[in-house]
Amino acid sequence: MYAESRRCAAAVRTALAAVLLGLIAGCFGGKGGPSGVTQPLPTLNVVTITVDSGPATATGAINRPYVTVHVCAAGSSTQCANIDHVLVDTGSWGLRLVRSTLTAAALTLAPQTDAQGNALEECATFGSGQTWGPIARADITLAGETAAGIPLQVLDDTQSGAPAPATCGASGLINGVADWAANGVLGIGVFAQDCGMNCAGTGAPLPVYYGCTAAGVCTAENVAVAAQVTNPAWAFATDNNGVIVSMANLQDANGDASAQGQLIFGLGTQADNALPGSGLQLLGADANGDFQTTYNGASVSVPGLLDTGSDSYLFDDPTIQVCTSAAWVGYYCPANAPLVRTAINASAAQTAASVSGAAGTVTFAVGDPDSFVANAAAYGGLAGGAGATRFNWGMPFFYGRPVYIGFEGRSVTSFTGPFYGY
Amino acid sequence: MFKDLYLNRVAAALLGIAAVCIQPAHAALGGDAASVDEDAAAVAGTHSVSPRQGYDLHVIAAAAGTRIAEFIDSDGRVFAVTWTGPVMPDLRALLGTHYAAFAAALAAQSPRPPHAALRVATPGLVVETGGHMRAVSGRAYLPGGLPADMAVSDVR
Repeated sequence: MYAESRRCAAAVRTALAAVLLGLIAGCFGGKGGPSGVTQPLPTLNVVTITVDSGPATATGAINRPYVTVHVCAAGSSTQCANIDHVLVDTGSWGLRLVRSTLTAAALTLAPQTDAQGNALEECATFGSGQTWGPIARADITLAGETAAGIPLQVLDDTQSGAPAPATCGASGLINGVADWAANGVLGIGVFAQDCGMNCAGTGAPLPVYYGCTAAGVCTAENVAVAAQVTNPAWAFATDNNGVIVSMANLQDANGDASAQGQLIFGLGTQADNALPGSGLQLLGADANGDFQTTYNGASVSVPGLLDTGSDSYLFDDPTIQVCTSAAWVGYYCPANAPLVRTAINASAAQTAASVSGAAGTVTFAVGDPDSFVANAAAYGGLAGGAGATRFNWGMPFFYGRPVYIGFEGRSVTSFTGPFYGY
Repeated sequence: MFKDLYLNRVAAALLGIAAVCIQPAHAALGGDAASVDEDAAAVAGTHSVSPRQGYDLHVIAAAAGTRIAEFIDSDGRVFAVTWTGPVMPDLRALLGTHYAAFAAALAAQSPRPPHAALRVATPGLVVETGGHMRAVSGRAYLPGGLPADMAVSDVR
């Protein structure tokens, strides 16, 4: 009985193994021919994007798309942490992590020095303020993709390092979790580095990268692009020519408690990231990362951007009432919402991208925040930006459509970045 | 005699220091045309002037596409400033004596606005800035200081 049972079990095991092998072969190209060579496993290239009320220490976020980023001290497999609620930002380049978050995760990253041995720090500009803090290197993993030893910025919210120069942060330093409603910013826009050649030349340095002495005296300097804060998705070993941000549509444009989507790495490199064969609007970007947008029949176009880091459509329209309620300062509160507006997007005139798509019209609605669902995290019709000289397509644009980001100098089919598509 | 000369020299030196100190550093908004030269020097830029209807437009052009425009009325006072370029300009310098009011109004904004745009509006000062990394632009103006026939939309 026992022996019989063992023989039977062995037979079952053999049969199971054969079936499993067959299944595996079926999954990974068993029709590959007599050699029996199987294809390598595809790299997992998708992470989940969640729009919710934000990190535990700074709730109340709206239209903030978050991912969790796996960060390891460069070269280490043990000095690692998962940093949650990192903002996905197609409007910037490179990863920035808040220092207090890293400290709470017991993660210390190797600080970088310049050619003189001084600490390398940065004053990085965003639309409404600047970040300040040191440059460090780390291994960044998202899904199955890793960017090894890339420079990132540590946002010095605890003011542990050299103090920011007097010229940095005059419109506010945005270094803390509360400033961002996030534990960090994942800049995965069209460029490889945050400053590029503007900070790498031999002329007078821009006030971006600084060498800081042990006494905390910081002097602006030029820095090679390889030492600048780097877009992790550009630095991956594979699937590194672009990304797709694919958000589900909202159930209620006036406010959902949360929203879900995917951040997909690579364009046309795997079965899940092909460009659509038809109906794709492609926009070549200029040296600033902008295309051109003509709003509501205006006589001139302005620089346009597809920006997951902005929570709203941002554009100037003096005919739309601005909000008077304290909760919605800076946004539009149209009297007869929803207002339907149109804008035409076209490639930039001066673009390095091999993209010359026809201009296309986008129709969108401007809602009235005063009538939105209270305390929701995802809003479809949020707009603002009175006085803006640009057009910023923020998160509301992304709900319900995949958006393609093509990295500078890298190609998919016949298109070379920097470009945007949707 | 010697003592008097020495005291005179000390007094002159002190006056010189005082003159340097009381001259606001790159005071642009609310300042005069001379302050534009200081702003130009601060960014190693070139400074050009063109007359417009009711005001003079001073333009500073500097590296990497940096452009700062200062609007000066017939009394010689800067009533508006605009900026565009790869990095945020030093707003302490550009707003001059109005910086404190801007900083106070900004601090009172809660929650902070979306990071791609910022607007501070008080009866005496409006500051708007926006854009993104590598491309920021904005303007500041004194609402009561615009020439009579100039529209806010002309502050570009």
